[in-house]
Amino acid sequence: MNFPEDSSCRPGYLGDQRAKVVQLRRLLAEKFPAMQSRVGGVLRTGLADLDAAEGGLRRAALTELSTGSGTGALFIHAMLETVRRERCFAALVDAARSFEPDCPAAALARLLVVFCTDAVQAVKATDLLLRDGNVSLIMLDLQAAPPRQLQRIPANRWHRLQRLAEQTTAAAVVLTPQPMVEAAQVRITAGEGWTLAAQRRWQRDLTAAARWRVFARRSAENHLPVWEGEHATA
Amino acid sequence: MFAVILLPNFRLQAALRFREAMHARPVALMDGQAPKEGMLEVSDAAALAGVMRGQTSPQALARCAGLTILARSPAEEGGAQAALLEMAAALSPEIEATAEGFCTVNLQGSRVNDWQALGAGVVAGLASLRLRAQVGIGPNPDLAFLAARHARLVLVVQSPAVFLANLALHELDPAPELLAVLRDWGIHNLAQLTSLPRGDLMDRLGPEAGRLWERAAGQTERPLRRVRAAEEFSEAFDFEHEIDSAEPLLFLLRRFLDQLALRLGNACRVAGQMKLTLPLANGSAYERTFTVPSPTADVEVLFRILHTHLDGLRLDHCATGLRLHITPTHAERQQFQLFETPLRDPNRFGETLGRLAALVGIENAGVVEVLDTHRPDSIRLRPPRFHEPGSMAAPADDGLAVGLPLRRYRPPIAAQVRVVKQQPVRLESARVCGAIRAALGPYRASGGWWDADCWSTEEWDVEMEKGGLYRLARVGREWRIEGSYDEPLPEDRRGLPALAAMPSTGARA
Repeated sequence: MNFPEDSSCRPGYLGDQRAKVVQLRRLLAEKFPAMQSRVGGVLRTGLADLDAAEGGLRRAALTELSTGSGTGALFIHAMLETVRRERCFAALVDAARSFEPDCPAAALARLLVVFCTDAVQAVKATDLLLRDGNVSLIMLDLQAAPPRQLQRIPANRWHRLQRLAEQTTAAAVVLTPQPMVEAAQVRITAGEGWTLAAQRRWQRDLTAAARWRVFARRSAENHLPVWEGEHATA
Repeated sequence: MFAVILLPNFRLQAALRFREAMHARPVALMDGQAPKEGMLEVSDAAALAGVMRGQTSPQALARCAGLTILARSPAEEGGAQAALLEMAAALSPEIEATAEGFCTVNLQGSRVNDWQALGAGVVAGLASLRLRAQVGIGPNPDLAFLAARHARLVLVVQSPAVFLANLALHELDPAPELLAVLRDWGIHNLAQLTSLPRGDLMDRLGPEAGRLWERAAGQTERPLRRVRAAEEFSEAFDFEHEIDSAEPLLFLLRRFLDQLALRLGNACRVAGQMKLTLPLANGSAYERTFTVPSPTADVEVLFRILHTHLDGLRLDHCATGLRLHITPTHAERQQFQLFETPLRDPNRFGETLGRLAALVGIENAGVVEVLDTHRPDSIRLRPPRFHEPGSMAAPADDGLAVGLPLRRYRPPIAAQVRVVKQQPVRLESARVCGAIRAALGPYRASGGWWDADCWSTEEWDVEMEKGGLYRLARVGREWRIEGSYDEPLPEDRRGLPALAAMPSTGARA
């Protein structure tokens, strides 16, 4: 029996394909300059680990924050302080209506909160906000959403959000209970498990104590699903 | 000098303003409330076919089978009249709304050399607002009116005696009895009338004849009944049929906005608010007011706001008309602080808010407003005003927050709690079950004791044996879980596939 020749096994095949992909990207960038991804810099978070690793949250990129729910809430509150300090605007899309505004009014005044009934609706709302391009930080909080709802989000939605994020200068963060956003360019994790002793500590100390770890894809040119590894740790 | 701006067949013009397809067709206008009065105004094509004012519908249709009969619309006429007065107000502050489709402007004191060019500008301006005008300019209001009546587009009366001499007597609209007597005398034009001695004429025919003589001689002077243009930027349209889709509405709204933007521009104003009204088939009306986040006269921006709303609008009854009213305001001039980051495009943001409101409900998108009470979960969302400087002014963070932030369960989850020695030791609920390892509390709060809405709660922070931090609350004898500070992944959630492998090397614990 004759098998067709498998060209993918040819030596140098992957290198050729990669070069072609890069060439195709350049061609598209020339033809459609408006669709080019913008390098929007970073949004400094005030979280030492994150800022040391990447300088802050990447703008024009989709970041996944995959942590426990307590650490996720700490991150949201830390970002509110960032928003107040940077005098920019942020949006929080809450898939489970769980946000408790137990933070200073100065930060709340710059935060657009969108309470959604389910995760799919929350993704749609994030889509609208990314298209808008007015706010500097968009947080999609899925950590309290039921798992069945999370499973209903099609994978291509994340790619769509990533493409939209690339067209803006906003930092887009998806807070998930477990890694699930394949299209994310940056993934942040943190230490798990808080005890009741945390309720007697300053919130800023808790934020500093969370072991934030940042993983990023390699450069946009070589946009392959390979994670570069850890940039910095606590 | 005085100018009279006249819109011939005003009511018909107002009705045909947004019906271009009918401009070349025979059209007649009648009063829908008083059909027995017959045709009020007829178009040139209808007049050529033999249709005349005062004819009843059967008579008119007998003359012209292809005749379109429209009912007059006071709303449409109101929009046209407002446009006329705005145009007049741009010439002089002293204007008189003499009648419908007809206004008089006092141009005394204006430094205009070319009256013809002034009149042509008015005609062109009104043409851009889809109105056909005739302008007459003369030394007094009556002469200007007569000139407007006889103008093709613009007529400037330089020599009143020459102009008046050739006019027929009926141009002055005298009383029928007086006109009949003068005709019996062989007086047919104004030159013949003014050749008679005024005093003798008054002796024989009374004071009315004297006033007629003065008008024929161009000697009348009267003060104008001054009005102020009301800055009513509104347009209206009444459909012949019921409308059950958004396309015709959007088509007309675009045209309305084109016109209104022109009028706003003429008045150096921008749109601050828009009010959309849809009269419905059941006699009611749908109304919605839109605040333009950053006041503008940009048609695209205003249209997008309306388009976004109509896209998601569902009505129980069909629309029979369309009204759009714009509240004008001055263009914004604002300066942000040096390090302030304003919204790039407030109007686009407003549009996005509209889309979000359509998706999640208007009460579920906005800025958190904490109500003036200590009662737990007393918040509401209000529309953000990010584009307004100073709206975000609030004291800075003191950095003194304690503990993990709560993730609140809305609504709270009912629970059974076993208490031993005034400490919760076991929790049973639909979401969390198990022994409690440690608890902090009670934190008691109450309020509203002075009225029927009094409340009292006792809160505990608990750590479960299996992991997880929760806030429990006891209200009366009932326990409930208010929210979680940290929640372990449930068994079923642990099954979610991790889509991308995380590196395990190099990670420091």
